[in-house]
Amino acid sequence: MPKDAIHAPETLLDIRNLSVDFRTPRGRVKALRDITFPIRKNRIVGIVGESGSGKSTVLWALLGLLAKNAEVTSGEVRFGDRDLLHASEAQLRATRGEEVSVVFQDPMTSQIPVLTYGRQMRDILYRRPNLSTAEKRRMAVEMLGKVGIPDPDKRIDQYPHHFSGGMRQRAGIAMALLTGPQLLLADEPTTALDVTMEAQIIHLLQDLQKELDATVVVVSHNLGLIAELCDDVVVMYAGEVIEAGEVREIFHNAQHPYTRALLECDPARIDDVSRKLPVIPGDIPDLTKPLSGCIYAPRCQRAMPVCREKLPPDVARGEMSLARCHLLDGPHHDPSWPPPPDVMTVGVGETSASKPARAVSDTPLLDVSDLNVQFETVGPLRARLRGLETRHVDAVLDVSLSVAPGETVGLVGESGSGKTTLGRCVLNLVPGQGGSVKFEGQDILNMPEARFKPLRRDMAMMFQDPVGSLSPRKSVRALITEPFQIHGITDVDLDAEAERLAEMVRLPGPFLSRYPHELSGGQARRVGVARALALNPKLIIADEPTAGLDVSVQGEILNLMADLQAEHGLGYLIITHNLPVVRHIADRLAIMYLGRIVEEGRTAEVFARPVHPYTQALVEGVPQPDPDRRRAHVSISGEVPSLLNRPKGCDFAGRCPFAQDHCRAEKPPHVTMVDGRRHACHFPLT
Amino acid sequence: MLYYLAKRLGLSAVVVCLVVLVLFSLLYLIPGDPATIALGPRATEEAIARYAEKMHLDEPVWRQFLIYIGNALTGDLGLDVFSDRPVTAIIMERIGFTLALVFAGMGWAMLIGIPLGCLAAVKPNSWLDRVTGVLSVGTIAVPSFLVSIWALLIFAVHLRWLPAIGAGEPGDFSDQLSHLVLPAFAIGLSWVGYLARMVRASMLEVMGENYIRSARAFGLHPRRVIFGYALRVAILPTITLIGMGFGGMISSTVFAEIIFARPGIGKLIFDAVMARNFPIVQGAVLVATGLYILVVLFSDILIAWFDPRVRESL
Ligand SMILES: Nc1ncnc2c1ncn2[C@@H]1O[C@H](COP(=O)(O)OP(=O)(O)OP(=O)(O)O)[C@@H](O)[C@H]1O
Ligand code: SF4
Ligand code: SF4
Ligand SMILES: [Mg+2]
Repeated sequence: MPKDAIHAPETLLDIRNLSVDFRTPRGRVKALRDITFPIRKNRIVGIVGESGSGKSTVLWALLGLLAKNAEVTSGEVRFGDRDLLHASEAQLRATRGEEVSVVFQDPMTSQIPVLTYGRQMRDILYRRPNLSTAEKRRMAVEMLGKVGIPDPDKRIDQYPHHFSGGMRQRAGIAMALLTGPQLLLADEPTTALDVTMEAQIIHLLQDLQKELDATVVVVSHNLGLIAELCDDVVVMYAGEVIEAGEVREIFHNAQHPYTRALLECDPARIDDVSRKLPVIPGDIPDLTKPLSGCIYAPRCQRAMPVCREKLPPDVARGEMSLARCHLLDGPHHDPSWPPPPDVMTVGVGETSASKPARAVSDTPLLDVSDLNVQFETVGPLRARLRGLETRHVDAVLDVSLSVAPGETVGLVGESGSGKTTLGRCVLNLVPGQGGSVKFEGQDILNMPEARFKPLRRDMAMMFQDPVGSLSPRKSVRALITEPFQIHGITDVDLDAEAERLAEMVRLPGPFLSRYPHELSGGQARRVGVARALALNPKLIIADEPTAGLDVSVQGEILNLMADLQAEHGLGYLIITHNLPVVRHIADRLAIMYLGRIVEEGRTAEVFARPVHPYTQALVEGVPQPDPDRRRAHVSISGEVPSLLNRPKGCDFAGRCPFAQDHCRAEKPPHVTMVDGRRHACHFPLT
Repeated sequence: MLYYLAKRLGLSAVVVCLVVLVLFSLLYLIPGDPATIALGPRATEEAIARYAEKMHLDEPVWRQFLIYIGNALTGDLGLDVFSDRPVTAIIMERIGFTLALVFAGMGWAMLIGIPLGCLAAVKPNSWLDRVTGVLSVGTIAVPSFLVSIWALLIFAVHLRWLPAIGAGEPGDFSDQLSHLVLPAFAIGLSWVGYLARMVRASMLEVMGENYIRSARAFGLHPRRVIFGYALRVAILPTITLIGMGFGGMISSTVFAEIIFARPGIGKLIFDAVMARNFPIVQGAVLVATGLYILVVLFSDILIAWFDPRVRESL
């Protein structure tokens, strides 16, 4: 419910005409240009936009903590009677952490590893000399309890590495709220977390904001999160605010063509499970070049000649609602814009024919049955000393899975569920302990590398971190032809192959001579696809193929993968925790929890009717990009247990809302249902 | 932690044994009769016989080795060839001078080098950073014996500010201190450079970490951010470097003690080598090695104390 139904909320912080440049060797990056928007009191304001749109720069500018090469060229940030942009360092220091505080994106790296939480929190309270150390500690314990840390009295003396990712982010929120700030800034607060954790953190932020009457600014590129959490939304593109408004105005009646496109590209919004995802063609403009006219014109479906010359007007709708586009006002006003929400305004990429019904063959390409992978945790001597019975953890436990030619299987699970280990074992990169892995009928588990090597041509891996997994000193040309060299294939024309592969993944020719750091995330991902395809494999194992990509680029990569599959009959095993994405590309889904597959079946059925309570929690856990479909409660609480103390009965029993005594006593076996679905639950949902 | 300590001490014992082995084989690798080598060409028949008996030269080599180790464990490092005094006593008389020198040398280097590196990293490309850069390259490049000679010539001979030779009157603390200044300056100087460089590099890295930005965003005072947060992490690799640096430091004391005529272990080893006084060389090298191992162990424990992640992995 909007809180301002009766009287308009006052403005807590007002950003006016903020412009920031970064001095770089390539020239001045005009990262923010003339940003103006208010942050209204007691609201949750979302800033959304693609990577590089300047979201983080706005936040850091508010705190006066921009990088050293940044220069604020104009503007003011009014906070009460002060201007934060022109405040002295001492004044800023008194504001930071006291009146304005921050929750950081990556709780793994943003908390100092060598100090306990108690120490870190006491440091934050250093401006309260009249509080004794014991009182500060009590405050900290109380706040840790409030954000849902169990046993805060004990946990406060622990170090960050003793906390799991979700716990760390809770602690991060506790640190930020310790001083009772008026304004809380959160930069991608859940991006580093798993789906179920994300849902918990969203609700925690929401509850705390209500309870403490704080104002919150959340930066995110996740539209679902913004819709779920925010009251007001600011949409940024390439350093400009192109639209702002209340959350329903933005999600239900977006005015700017970019906002429309962004919403249409979100796979979570697309119910029609066709294989093609809509994309925004083109890239974000180079901000070192002189800019004129509408910043979005090069990618806009509706661009007119005037758009390239004249800066569009800011067309206001309400108190804080505005959109910057020629279509909305002035001589080029188009009364029929925007079209109703169900009309698509962006195409599905430049790609060709939609996918033919695929001939999914019956003989599996890959057939994994009862596979186990164990890792040694302690040396033999230590195990003796500590009296441990077992020195192993089961990273993969009794997993059965098959992939047919031309089929896409999604392997879904939270971090630590053993997805990647399974993929690596299939590729013979880690040894398995029991079970079998068959590739085209041939048993390949623990095959000696010499015999396995020829098979590597048929099975390729696409790695999770595209730029990190590409050697920085090699050109794109060298990178995509590297597989030929690795396999000692000399009877091909490498240059011709490089061009063929680049064309296949639609990477323009000039890119062949670039180096990885000169590529955008999507381009680097394409290089990864080209490398995987170089030797005409039959099976591709893709580890988080779209992690870290913006929605529009994500669509491009997924469409590309679908096209290649249709053309070459590839089998895909896609490892991911992104449910909206697999929903569009996978024929079948396997849900993994703590190394076991807990449910497996056809994607549409799994989504429509989850059988396992964990699957249900995951499906419900995806925040919907629709402010009218906010969830009232979090479906599951708690965290994934550690492999080191795997529960005796059902692995999920500790978090399952339906758990019974039987669940805690006995591990549920895998059961195949009449329709071919398989699950491992004593009390399946029906 | 106990497991770790036991492992480390076991390893240290192996290293000490290896050192003794090397010292022993040296004696046998040099052509000629060990007794003659040890006692020098001018030794009398009688002395050689006495020596052979005392060193169990008639026993097989491996037994001699074991006997030596066994004795060393009980604190008996044999007898000085010339004076017949126990080697252990001779070393004990002098070790204090060397320890004082090494700790004073490393101490002042740490006191100056670490803050210098820190400040240089906090303001990269400032004049302080540039000066530190030039100074550290300069001090690292100059060998410590040259520094010793120059320091002696300038401050003791020319300016007459400080005494030139000796270790000062026994019992007179301030006199001993004034005799310590120049040699400690000489052996510590290049370490100022090393430490400043090392600390600067790791500080620069740590200052770019997310948790430093967090500390700033919580409004902590810059002093607290730099010394309480960044330095606490950045110091870790430096502690290892300092621990290992003690080895090099002990060898630089040889020059400094000769040049300043200080009666320390370095000078003892030098004199003993010149006089082919083998029991002393063996004993002194063994003690120096033991000291070195202790310091390295101590530095590792210090790191564990600073870093909970290391502590728990032990
Ligand atoms: N220190 C810097 N030096 C040079 N350019 C920078 C610097 N920091 C940011 N930029 C540039 O400023 C622009 C805005 O960056 P910013 O980090 O604010 O984007 P963002 O919206 O937060 O993106 P993301 O979603 O990837 O976090 C980008 O073009 C980026 O390359
Ligand atoms: S001003 Fe023109 S180019 Fe820009 S968004 Fe509007 S229609 Fe598109
Ligand atoms: S077996 Fe029991 S605890 Fe496990 S998922 Fe099923 S109902 Fe929940
Ligand atoms: Mg950002």
